[in-house]
Amino acid sequence: MTPISKTLRKEALFLSHKCQDGNLQSVFSCLDVVWTLYDRIMNWSPETAQDDDRDFFIISKGQATLALYPVLIEKGMFSMDEIAPEIGQFKSRYCIQTDLTKFSGGIENNAGSLGHGLPFAVGIANANLIKKSPSQVYVLCGDGEFCEGTMWESCIFASAKKLDNLCVIIDDNDSVGAMVDMGSFHAKLTAFGFDVFEVNGHDMEETEKALRELRGMKNGKPKALIAHTVRGYGSPTMTEHDIWFHKAPNEAELEMLVKEVDAF
Amino acid sequence: MIRNEPDTSFFTVDIGMWAIRDVLRDFPERCTNVGIYEDGMLSIAAGMARRGLVPTVFGIQPYLIERTLEQIKMDLAYQKLGINVVGTGAAVDYPKYGYSHYCAEDVQVIKSIPGCEFVAPGTAKQFIQLFNQSYRDGKPTFFRVSDHPNTEYDVDVSFGKANVIQTGNRATVIAVSVMLDEVMKVCRGKDVTVLYYTTLEPFDAQTLAENCPTGKILVVEPEYEGSLLYDIHKALPGRPLRIEQVAFPREIFRNYGTYQEKMAYYGLTAEKIDEKLKALES
Repeated sequence: MTPISKTLRKEALFLSHKCQDGNLQSVFSCLDVVWTLYDRIMNWSPETAQDDDRDFFIISKGQATLALYPVLIEKGMFSMDEIAPEIGQFKSRYCIQTDLTKFSGGIENNAGSLGHGLPFAVGIANANLIKKSPSQVYVLCGDGEFCEGTMWESCIFASAKKLDNLCVIIDDNDSVGAMVDMGSFHAKLTAFGFDVFEVNGHDMEETEKALRELRGMKNGKPKALIAHTVRGYGSPTMTEHDIWFHKAPNEAELEMLVKEVDAF
Repeated sequence: MIRNEPDTSFFTVDIGMWAIRDVLRDFPERCTNVGIYEDGMLSIAAGMARRGLVPTVFGIQPYLIERTLEQIKMDLAYQKLGINVVGTGAAVDYPKYGYSHYCAEDVQVIKSIPGCEFVAPGTAKQFIQLFNQSYRDGKPTFFRVSDHPNTEYDVDVSFGKANVIQTGNRATVIAVSVMLDEVMKVCRGKDVTVLYYTTLEPFDAQTLAENCPTGKILVVEPEYEGSLLYDIHKALPGRPLRIEQVAFPREIFRNYGTYQEKMAYYGLTAEKIDEKLKALES
């Protein structure tokens, strides 16, 4: 793993430890994609975080919201010194989900209930079209989340409205495989009128290349990137043991997991 | 609105297309028949509100309110994003369609999510007045429009404010929305106060507090009985109250027939209002 991938994971571990909550498997599977977006793709910076034409990052798989803070810390939007002492505390504005009303920039939506972020992002993309704004919208979804009907409803709308300013990223860590046989996301989204690319979601170069290409395809079709990822990627313990779907590390576990990430 | 205000948008969930065919044709970007999916639609509208637009969604009341409850909670109320939702059909305006199309619970459902507004105009003119006063207020606002408006009483109304139709000393009658005509058939010339409510959330507690000399209250509401009881009690703290109600009973309606038959069967009539008022005054 690259140094930044390790840094982000160790920060997520520390925040989960401080908060004593979190869904670290899901966070680790999407961190590389989220970083690639903020670092290499999106028209976004802390200074432009409230500009009307900024790009939007919407988190739909709300259980991975803890992936957002390390990325925004490393981009200079927030500081670890500010978040770590208060995350999860009674009056904190930081927790394992976000509350949009407590922020002026940096946080674009509230998540938690699945099936909401994608239609919300579609609404933003549609508004961008009406406003004739160059703002692009990226929305991070889980593969399991696609069992929700609203996901497909919004795909109908995105396609009908020709929202080529929308890019749906599926963090495909094979969660849905434990539930149902979903079949091919690629075929389904293609049938819904999307341009669909697939990448290794832990390879930042490959992910960047695909996102850049999709961003340049102004052909009236919404975009989808299927990022093949691994739950808990970066920690063999987390990858092997599904208890880390929802578990916060204690002091000893934190030390052990940090070592694993460093050695990965 | 669509013609003059470029930040407004209108979505219909496949309802009323003939009436709005011109704007559907002239403003395809902002005025769309989206298809039939109310829950996803409300999230999409919330996203548009996030970008500063003023979306209005039109459809059938139970699908706009009950199917979408989590969207109302998460995408609108929690994020403090305002859209307008205009629903037709409630409570029993589709009398032959069965329980799927009835929505006598709409007020209570919306009142259960803090930060939402509920408006029930009694006439078409009042809908325009109330909509114009509230559609840009940044809150999720739910409008219940009816096929059976008042025809005798069409007073001017203000958002968030009850009208004092008449004052009297023996009781206070709260007439909600399309029930005003029936209330006035009974109360005109009687020594009772009549308050007319078209905004049900937020509830105008002040007007009730200033116009309830006896603590005897008759609520006449075209929704499930008790929909306003919490607000009434909160408006009159510490007061001994005697409350009678003319409203739909809390049961699943398994009958069909006409709107008038339903109103008669469930007692939303001048006769029942008269009977309850006499009981209250006795």
